[in-house]
Amino acid sequence: MSEEEYRTVLATLKEEAIYPYTEDEMQVVKSVESCINCGLCIQHCPVVAAVGLDSFSGPRSIAVELSRSPPEYWTTADVVYLCTGCGTCREVCPKDVDIPEIVNLIRARIFKHRPDLVPKQLHAADAIIVEHGLAFVPWEDPEEKVESRNMRLERLGLRYVPDQVVKGADVLFYPGCQAEERAQEVKESAKIILDHFKAKFTLLEEMNCCGLPATLLGDDKTALELALRLKKKVKDLGVKMLVTTCAGCTSNLARIAERDAWGIPVYHMLEFLVEEIGIAKLSSAFKQSTEEEPLRVTLHDPCHLIKHTSRITMDYAGQILSLIPDVEVTHSFAHDSCCGGGGLVSYHAGDVARAVMKENLAAIEETGASRVVTPCPLCTAQLEDSLFRQGSSVEVDDMTVFIAQRLPQKG
Amino acid sequence: MAKYDVVVIGGGSTGTAVARDCAMRGLKILLLERDDIASATTGACAGMISSGLKYMDEPNIVDMCSDEVVNFKRIARHVMEKNPIITPLLEMSDISSGGNFAEEYSKRAETRDVPPVLFLTPEDSLKIEPTLNPDLIASIYFEEYFISPFALCMLQALDAKQHGADIKTYCEVTDILTKKGSITGVQYFNRITDKMESAKTRAIVNAAGPWAHKIAALAGAKLELRLNKGAHVILDRRVVNVGVIAKAIEGRMIYLFPHENTVLLGTTALDTWEDPDTLVASQDEIEYLLKSMEWVVPSIRDARIIRTMEGVRPLIPTWKIPEGDVTRGYEVIDHEPEGVSGLISFAGGKLVMCRHMAEAATDLVCKNFGIEAECRTHIEPLPGNSDDVDILALAKEYGVSQHTVERMRARRGTEIVMILELTRDHPEWKTTICTCEPVIEAELRYAIRATFPQTLNDLRRRIRLGTGPCQGTFCTFKAATILAEELELSGADFQLEIVDFLAERWKGKRQSIRGEQIAQEELAQGIYACVGNLDQALERLDYDLKPWEEVL
Repeated sequence: MSEEEYRTVLATLKEEAIYPYTEDEMQVVKSVESCINCGLCIQHCPVVAAVGLDSFSGPRSIAVELSRSPPEYWTTADVVYLCTGCGTCREVCPKDVDIPEIVNLIRARIFKHRPDLVPKQLHAADAIIVEHGLAFVPWEDPEEKVESRNMRLERLGLRYVPDQVVKGADVLFYPGCQAEERAQEVKESAKIILDHFKAKFTLLEEMNCCGLPATLLGDDKTALELALRLKKKVKDLGVKMLVTTCAGCTSNLARIAERDAWGIPVYHMLEFLVEEIGIAKLSSAFKQSTEEEPLRVTLHDPCHLIKHTSRITMDYAGQILSLIPDVEVTHSFAHDSCCGGGGLVSYHAGDVARAVMKENLAAIEETGASRVVTPCPLCTAQLEDSLFRQGSSVEVDDMTVFIAQRLPQKG
Repeated sequence: MAKYDVVVIGGGSTGTAVARDCAMRGLKILLLERDDIASATTGACAGMISSGLKYMDEPNIVDMCSDEVVNFKRIARHVMEKNPIITPLLEMSDISSGGNFAEEYSKRAETRDVPPVLFLTPEDSLKIEPTLNPDLIASIYFEEYFISPFALCMLQALDAKQHGADIKTYCEVTDILTKKGSITGVQYFNRITDKMESAKTRAIVNAAGPWAHKIAALAGAKLELRLNKGAHVILDRRVVNVGVIAKAIEGRMIYLFPHENTVLLGTTALDTWEDPDTLVASQDEIEYLLKSMEWVVPSIRDARIIRTMEGVRPLIPTWKIPEGDVTRGYEVIDHEPEGVSGLISFAGGKLVMCRHMAEAATDLVCKNFGIEAECRTHIEPLPGNSDDVDILALAKEYGVSQHTVERMRARRGTEIVMILELTRDHPEWKTTICTCEPVIEAELRYAIRATFPQTLNDLRRRIRLGTGPCQGTFCTFKAATILAEELELSGADFQLEIVDFLAERWKGKRQSIRGEQIAQEELAQGIYACVGNLDQALERLDYDLKPWEEVL
């Protein structure tokens, strides 16, 4: 029983493209055993609806065809990267088949064993994550980052709450890569909110990605490495809870915090506000409106909250909006439809991502709202871009920013 | 009346191999099959091109098996796969019972391009196959080749056809004509035309498997067989990474083998006198297999069983010994000494030997005819094995998903280009018909036009239609529509086709139905009875319940 013998076995397995499922993976694949082929998931899949079954064979095919014969995993590369990972299929499945996890699992296999079949844009994205520990290339000049932040604060009429790193704080605010590097107003707004409600908060000394993009593109190794790096930082700070403003981070941090036994809860800002601050405090917090007309707003539900975490977060969103004077919410019929921004699809198949968005745009226009509010900086960016391309006058606000703007200014 | 040199009776692995060999050697051949190609014994086997692992006490047979594996790799690599196999040892006594297996296997391993038998630590074993019982003390590792038995038979039949043979399915031999003790012809009932037909021939090769004794009797010849039935339980997907071999409750060897997109759990071996046509797996057989496998793969009972299948082995008639001790060699019997000249029958044999058996029988036919012709069946590739197939390029060129193209390739090799070409004029034929496997409409149309199926069940053998977890729930009505259009079936025949196929699926489902498969069955019944109203149509269709459909 030598190592050499085992290597011989591995050589055959490689030759036959058999990469044994681990026990964890087996559990995911096992959920597919319940599939009765009913096709409900196909009827509800936003990508199928947008591009048709000929271009994207849909969740059922991923569950049934693509997961049955592991050695053929590599043939699925033309399908699995088009999944936006919204999780609708899992939600509507009468048998609880975990299709989004199967997509991740197959992508991980392809990334590891057939990297030539991974879209090259995803390799580029991975290189950035590996090099910087962030989903985006960080600002080269820190001064410019500050300038950009100040411009955003000024444009939105927000005050500046200084960054702080405090050991033993109650709350770790984790902005996520998008709010850290790009949508800085979201990070600033979160600090304003925390400061307003006198939460003892801290930031990370050095921000690093939660690992979700790495997971989605199949780089499990990097994802795990980032998760462990983050855990160490969290432990060193000794906080009682983590609050984030990004939907993707919320679902992923909740998952890894449980998996890696962080021992603290993970909240989206909305959950934090309702569950930790409380509706009573919130209801008296908002300043009176100076507008003559009420602002007509519609909500967009981020998949990573409603389908990957909990639907209750968006109930909270509605409750919070109802507390803000002179805001009128009109529901869009597509409020819980994927924005197309998930699953890293927009990185390499922008046309597919935009096609998925299309239904949302029509629904948003139909509400007659002048503003879309959504508690996720990634959805915000995706919606903003699409509405702009369409020449729409509807504006988009990240909900954290929307809330911060409506709190009274103080010194 | 048509005149042939040889009439081959039986369209299983041996019959199609004989037709191919004879045709390649220039003989005029008619193959008669009472049902469809590979519809009985061959269709119920595990597809293992066995190196002879169960027969290490018969070294000459092991040599033959090993050589045949090499031959198949040459002629049919495109429809084959290699499975690593683990035999976990749970107690010390399991080690000693291996006998001379490791030595005999390893001796011939190199020629088959596989490593010798290896012994793996429990840790390594579990890394390869985490479903194994963690209490194992070691495992034996070796590798075997597998082939799709349906594809093999179909390709042999098609190749025979290309060499001039006539292949007739649904033609049941009703009489063998002799004159002064010599074969002169056959009479058969053509179930497609509903007519009696006949053909003249100088010789008959009887490859009728478990019916071979009945065929011999038609010529007044005597043939004894020891019929032995075996059941397989079919699981919905690859629940194991590699093949697993275990000892059954009474010490026989049983296995879990990955096969296409499924896993086969088999097999039983029971002497039988039942009718092979209506035989189904029994509860005892299913439980025997589950109970036995559970010791080494504890989670096996939780796996989803989609169906069972039962086949009958036509063993060489050695009596008063256990089935496992009966030789797995074969016999070619020339009935001349008993006064029937021109009739040659087979007894025994294994899938891996089918080409070898055909060569032996054809040699004998040629010798009897006084012809000198070399066998080339082990050299010339079967259709579709002429070259590698670039899946990624073809998928891109024709706009068909890579997975669909790869599944197609596993059935037809290079010939898939002919299927894909159909989509140039008919882009709508890229539609997926069977969503489990998957199968697109173009492949269905091509199979109907090029491989002479008569029923949906025949299509199932050719393209794996309806063999996935949903067992025809979603493909049956779609495929029936296409078949009806291609074969110009009447409305009633179209409906009968659906009912027949569902009945055939039910044959394998009924015995093992449990767990998720019950939910699946509810959906199937909902579609065909509640929505399709086919249960109401049965009377009008003049449909007789199949024996396995009778309500107790």
